Amino acid sequence: MGKYRRFTFPFSAITGQEKMKKALLLNAVNPRIGGVLVRGEKGTAKSTAVRALARLLPEIEVVAGCPYNCDPGDAGLICQSCRDRLGDAQRIEKVLRRVQVVDLPVSATEDRVVGSLDFEHAVRYGRARFEPGLLARANRGIIYVDEVNLLDDHIVDVLLDVAATGVNVVERESVSYSHRAEFILVGTMNPEEGGLRPQLIDRFGLCVQVEGVTDPARRVEIVRRRDEFDADPLGFIARWREKERQLREKITAARCLLPTVTISPDLLELIAELSMEALVAGHRADIVMAAASSTIAAWHGRNRVTEGDVYEAADLVLFHRVREAPPPSPEQPGASPEEQEDSPEQEEEDDSREQEPPEQPEEAPPLPDQESLEPEDQKQQEDQERDREKEQNTPPPAAPEERVFAVGQPFQTKRISYDRDRMLRKGSGRRSRTRTASKAGRYVRSTMQRKNNDLAFDATVRAAAPYQPRRRRGGTAIAIETGDIREKVREKRIGNFLLFVVDASGSMGARQRMVETKGAILSLLLDAYQKRDRIGMVAFRGSAAEMILPPTGSVEMAHKLLEELPTGGKTPLSAGLIKAYEVARTHLYKDSDISPLLIIISDGKGNVSAGADKPLAEARRVAEIIRAEERIKTLVVDVENNGFLTFGLAGELAAALGAGYYKIDDLKADTLVRAVREVE
Amino acid sequence: MNEINRIYPFAAIVGQEEMKRGLMLNAVNPKLSGVLIRGEKGTAKSTAVRGLAALLPEIEVVDGCVYGCDPGDVTTMCLECRDRLEAGEGLPRMRRKMRVVDLPVSATEDRVVGTLDIEQAIKKGEKHFEPGVLAQANRGILYVDEVNLLDDHIVDVLLDSAAMGVNTVEREGVSFTHPANFILVGTMNPEEGELRPQLLDRFGLCVNITGIPDPALRVEVIRRRAAFEVDPDEFARQWEAEEDDLRRRIVAAKALLPKVRVSDDILFLIAKVAIEMGVDGHRADLVMMKAAKTTAALKGRGEVTEDDVRGSVDLALLHRMRRKPFQDLSMDREKLRGAIGEPQSGHARGHGQPHSHSHHR
Repeated sequence: MGKYRRFTFPFSAITGQEKMKKALLLNAVNPRIGGVLVRGEKGTAKSTAVRALARLLPEIEVVAGCPYNCDPGDAGLICQSCRDRLGDAQRIEKVLRRVQVVDLPVSATEDRVVGSLDFEHAVRYGRARFEPGLLARANRGIIYVDEVNLLDDHIVDVLLDVAATGVNVVERESVSYSHRAEFILVGTMNPEEGGLRPQLIDRFGLCVQVEGVTDPARRVEIVRRRDEFDADPLGFIARWREKERQLREKITAARCLLPTVTISPDLLELIAELSMEALVAGHRADIVMAAASSTIAAWHGRNRVTEGDVYEAADLVLFHRVREAPPPSPEQPGASPEEQEDSPEQEEEDDSREQEPPEQPEEAPPLPDQESLEPEDQKQQEDQERDREKEQNTPPPAAPEERVFAVGQPFQTKRISYDRDRMLRKGSGRRSRTRTASKAGRYVRSTMQRKNNDLAFDATVRAAAPYQPRRRRGGTAIAIETGDIREKVREKRIGNFLLFVVDASGSMGARQRMVETKGAILSLLLDAYQKRDRIGMVAFRGSAAEMILPPTGSVEMAHKLLEELPTGGKTPLSAGLIKAYEVARTHLYKDSDISPLLIIISDGKGNVSAGADKPLAEARRVAEIIRAEERIKTLVVDVENNGFLTFGLAGELAAALGAGYYKIDDLKADTLVRAVREVE
Repeated sequence: MNEINRIYPFAAIVGQEEMKRGLMLNAVNPKLSGVLIRGEKGTAKSTAVRGLAALLPEIEVVDGCVYGCDPGDVTTMCLECRDRLEAGEGLPRMRRKMRVVDLPVSATEDRVVGTLDIEQAIKKGEKHFEPGVLAQANRGILYVDEVNLLDDHIVDVLLDSAAMGVNTVEREGVSFTHPANFILVGTMNPEEGELRPQLLDRFGLCVNITGIPDPALRVEVIRRRAAFEVDPDEFARQWEAEEDDLRRRIVAAKALLPKVRVSDDILFLIAKVAIEMGVDGHRADLVMMKAAKTTAALKGRGEVTEDDVRGSVDLALLHRMRRKPFQDLSMDREKLRGAIGEPQSGHARGHGQPHSHSHHR
């Protein structure tokens, strides 16, 4: 078993994406910088660049045959077996080899990452031996995680831990072992696919954002080069060999120069100021920035850091560390009076609304203090709320036919949580703990049931042990029979699937109600993000309902769509419910482990039906169908204003669904937790 | 032998030109990285895929190799074959049809990437890698019905392998890589949920199909199907000439493809369309270029024309455009027409009539 070769697009042949290339090269010169996170849209040479970097790096000296790539020049840090060999006065052979780029596939299991008991060896020779994992191979190299945001949380924890200490300590399945694991962590992610925990983000020294090139001439160049490469990879690589060599020499030169680079106290102060301005947490940013500045100086062949170097470094170091209030920075909402009830309800019938004079078709102007309202401080959020109250005295704008409302200010929602359950589930997330049927997750105990091909070697050996004297061993140290085999039972946290069913009809446009609603959805989304939930969104308006966000882990994407969601038209409530039901059913089909939770956000005033029934009667009938599907949980968020005249239709809908019911204001209160628990 | 005759001939499929074109393009140029067929049930999706495999010329493989390595190409060989070759052993050759490997929706990751044979490992102390679906699909077609219902995790693995042409296994004590070059054909019914944009983007081409609205053609569908069921062998004989013709075109196009040239004007047109449509990244440009080249090759031309680009934009771009809520596909199509239909003043118009793709039959 070994490696299957593949051709690598040369690093120097990558067009554009200068920042990304720079960040990677700086790490190549100085591994202390601590890795790169490449964020960006799909198809922007992210992976290509990382793989190309490996080819570019100068070779390192390692102990021949050592699985941990020990450095023969550093006797203090070598692994156990190398030390034993030294102790036995054996000569250690040195070899030069290329820096390893270890791909960490999203599907990798924990055993493979940290290493595990070599049971082949154990069965044959009856001795426990540690089998090194990916972290061992990555020592003194690069770990590359494509789509790092999709990696199992469990693995992320391990990576973080090892990256921080530089040592991999394994204590599992009767193996106890530790070895050095110092590596450059390079990750790529598409933010649309879901976020990354701040803790892990901070671990990456640098971060760059990549985008597609918009200059047609360069786009053409990209296509040309790729085409040439695909047609004749060997020829293409040969043509770029000289450029690659020059770049490699530059890296080597910069490495030599790096230890002599000095940085003046003034510039160190500048670094500290920049960090403080960006409100970064902790001091890693300062340290990385200093290292990156020196490396930039070395790259340019200088032994003194200049101010320009510091600014260039700050750009790469602070990008992902700048703290903002919530992850997707929301627009400041316009004025949104909610309690005001001096005009009668005007949305009972669609027709009546059309005759309403469009008083203020424009969106409410942003608050005057928006500039100063940098999202950094809770207090300012309160200020803003006070402002909002002030603005309640101005007359509310009426709803025109179709408009797009801003997203209201998000707030901290109360936890939605499911209790731990004993069912087997797959999926990943942080909301609930559960037994998992996939091989990811922590090994908690073993079972005799065979379903997973997920061998629990320690338990299997224990099961076989008592029979060893009587069994015949065919050349192995332990005789194991089928009946001895035990499998692992694993546990992990799973997320939920929250499907937002949003009323985007004209009635929601009244008095900025949509702003509030969008704010409420965003709040729930942020909560969902922290719990690694999957989210989806169905909106209904006019005559139809549409799935506007297929199930995803990306709050950012949801936020973008939420912003774009237009409001206007009639209220096809039953169509919305039907669509939601279909989506939930599909989800159950795909992943029967995770119960979808429908969060219906509406005033319940359906006025269009899909069939021949009256709209409300039809909605009730659909509600009953949904209620009959036990695996689908529902919640209704009523957005009807409090006032003299309320219809309480959303309440009726909730009753028909057997759903938890609460008013939009309740979201801020503790009641949500209870509401969801009751649903459970 | 009978098995093969039971397959409905590709050439006899009525209508669904876009789908057939998408499949043919991939057959000629597997680097187009697959095709996603979006559409309702019963629109000849899987018939077309199976028909295509039967249509394609036989390939030469190393006899007994799980991966079906090409004995004539060291660069794409599996390690075992390469070792044998390097050891001076001759590789036994055989010819066979291209395989269509089905990936069921319920497939586990083990089945897809391959796994360790645990029983053998623990009883004999030997690690033995059991190749999965990706190994079987090497140099063939991997057909994933209802790809949108597949676990996202598995789709990730699939698309990753498809993009790299290599399957990397890192699990339960196995660290292994083997070639996995295949034409990925996925089908989905959008009513049952969409595919994540990231995954959509990895499919080179995408076609949207619907039932045929023309009554006469619908009747023809029924008639041909009935004739096929009554006597498949006779039906196959009737279509043999057509099939041979298609096969010849594919073989000729494959040979011509490396020689097809693209002018800078054409590349600028492609870049312009991609920028105007606001697609993410550069994958769309590459696919459009490859699809246009392949279209030219299929038409027996050595030079890509604007028409070839027009013929490929729908396939390459529709699934890559960002859609706003409550905006339907036809608006996207119109926008595309707008971007491609009016060439800039520098580009001469008049390579044939726009939008009249010369379909056979």
